[in-house]
Amino acid sequence: MRKLLITAAVFSAAAVIGVGAVIAWPVKNEVASIDQPGDPQRGAYLARAGGCIACHTNWEEGGKPLAGGAPLKTDFGTFYPSNLTMSKDAGIGDWSVQDFAASLRQGVSPDGEPYYPAFPYPFYRNLSDQDIADLWAAFQTVAAVDEPAPAHEVGFPFDQRWGLKLWRGAFLEPPRTKPVEGRSEAWNRGRLLVEGVTHCGACHTGRNIAGARVLDEKFRGYDGLPGGGKSPAITPEALQDGGWSVSDLAYALETGIMPDGDAFGGSMGEVVTYGTSFMTDADREAMAIYLLNEEQDG
Amino acid sequence: MKLKTILAASVATSIGIGAVAHTGATGIVLERMQAMSAMGDAVKSVTPIMKGEQNYDADTVRKAAAVFEEHAGTAMTELFPEDNANEKSYVKDAIWEDWDEFERIAMRLETLAQGLSKAADNGLADEEAAQADMGSMMGGDTASMMGGDASGMMGGGSAETTLAEMADMPADEVFSELSRTCSTCHTRFRLEKD
Repeated sequence: MRKLLITAAVFSAAAVIGVGAVIAWPVKNEVASIDQPGDPQRGAYLARAGGCIACHTNWEEGGKPLAGGAPLKTDFGTFYPSNLTMSKDAGIGDWSVQDFAASLRQGVSPDGEPYYPAFPYPFYRNLSDQDIADLWAAFQTVAAVDEPAPAHEVGFPFDQRWGLKLWRGAFLEPPRTKPVEGRSEAWNRGRLLVEGVTHCGACHTGRNIAGARVLDEKFRGYDGLPGGGKSPAITPEALQDGGWSVSDLAYALETGIMPDGDAFGGSMGEVVTYGTSFMTDADREAMAIYLLNEEQDG
Repeated sequence: MKLKTILAASVATSIGIGAVAHTGATGIVLERMQAMSAMGDAVKSVTPIMKGEQNYDADTVRKAAAVFEEHAGTAMTELFPEDNANEKSYVKDAIWEDWDEFERIAMRLETLAQGLSKAADNGLADEEAAQADMGSMMGGDTASMMGGDASGMMGGGSAETTLAEMADMPADEVFSELSRTCSTCHTRFRLEKD
C-alpha cells in the first residue's frame, strides 16, 4: 500500500514537472529582422486573399474593418477573431514587424503564447519575408479601433494553452514553398496560393478530435465547420464529377456562381465576397488549375 | 402559329414547374423555388457570355436582367411572409430576425438588375482595363490610402455602385456584383443542402 502511494506520488510529481516543462517550453523561434520595405497594395491583396479582412471584420454587425470578427462557434468553444487594427491597446499597433511575422508564420503571440489553430497560421507558414513586409505595410493603414475583441470562450481542458504546444509538436507541418519541378508556372502559383495564403484546406479538409487536419482526408470536405457548416470535397476527382472545369472554378471564385446556375451560400459566399473576388483573373485561374490538377501554361 | 408558341411556352413552363414541384413543396414555398429557378436559369443563360466563351449578345443579357428584376425587390420579399416560418424549406429564421437586411439585399438586387440592363450594350471589360480597375479597388490612390483612409484597400466601406455608374460599366462587372449579391443573401439567409 505504502509502495503504491509512493509510486503514485512519484508519478504525479513527474506529471507536474512534465506539465511545468511544457508550460515553460518556449515555442517561439527567433525571427530574423525583416528590413525590406513593404508594398501596402500588394499587402492588401494578400490580406484579401488570405481572409484576414474577411474573418477579422464583423460584417454582419457592420463592424469596422479588421476590428474583430464574428464569433466562430466550434466543438472547443467560441473563438473571437482578434482586433487587428493599429490600436496600441486593443489591436496590434505596438507590434514590431518581427512580432507580426512570428504571429503569422509561427502562430505565437508577442508574449510567446501559442494561438489556437482556429487561426490558420499553419498555412501562413508559407508566407515569404516579402509577403510579411507587404502585409505589415498594409496593416499600418488600418484605422485604430480601441475596443478589444472579446476573449475566447473555451472550456477546460482547451483553455489550458500549454496544451497547444503539444498540439504543435504533433500536428504542425513544415512550410512548402519550393515549386514542384516539371509542373507549369500556373500550377505552381496555384499551389502556393491554395496550400498557403488562401488556405482552402482549413475548411475543405476534415479535422480530427484535436482539431488538426487529417492529411489523408485532404480536400475531401468536412461537415464540422464552425457554426455547424459543411464543406464539399474539392479533390480533382470530386470537382470533375461535379462538372467543374478550370474556367467554372475560376469564375466561381470571382462571382460565386456554380455550374448549375446557383450561387454559393454558406461561408463560401463570404470567402468570395470578401476574399477571392478581389484577386486577379490569373491567380483565380492558377488556383483552379492546381485544384483540378490540370496542366495549362499561364 | 401564335397558339403554337403559347402552347410551347406553357409546356416548357409546366416542365420547369414540374421539376421544382417534384420536391414536394407547395404554396408560397413552391412559388419561391420557381422564382429562384427562373433566376438560376437566367444566370446560366449569360454565364458563358460573361466568361467570354460565347459571343457577346446584348439581347440575351437584357433578357436575363429582366428576369432578375422581375423577381427582385418587393417581388422577392413578398415571398417570405413570417407566418410561413414553420414550413419546411431552406430558409433560415435569420431572414425574419434581420428583415431590414434582407430587404436591403433584395432592393440592391433590383438596382443591379436595372443596372445590368443599362450596361448590356457596353459589352465585356477588356482585360487590361479590368486589372487596372482592380488596382484602384485595392486603393490605387496612394495618397488617400496612406492618409489614414484605408477604406477601399483594407476592407472599408467604399460607396455602393450607383445605377448611373452601372450604366457606364462593362456588363460583366455589373453581373459579377449582381451574382455576389445572390451569394451574400444565400450566405445570410439560406440553409445549405446536406
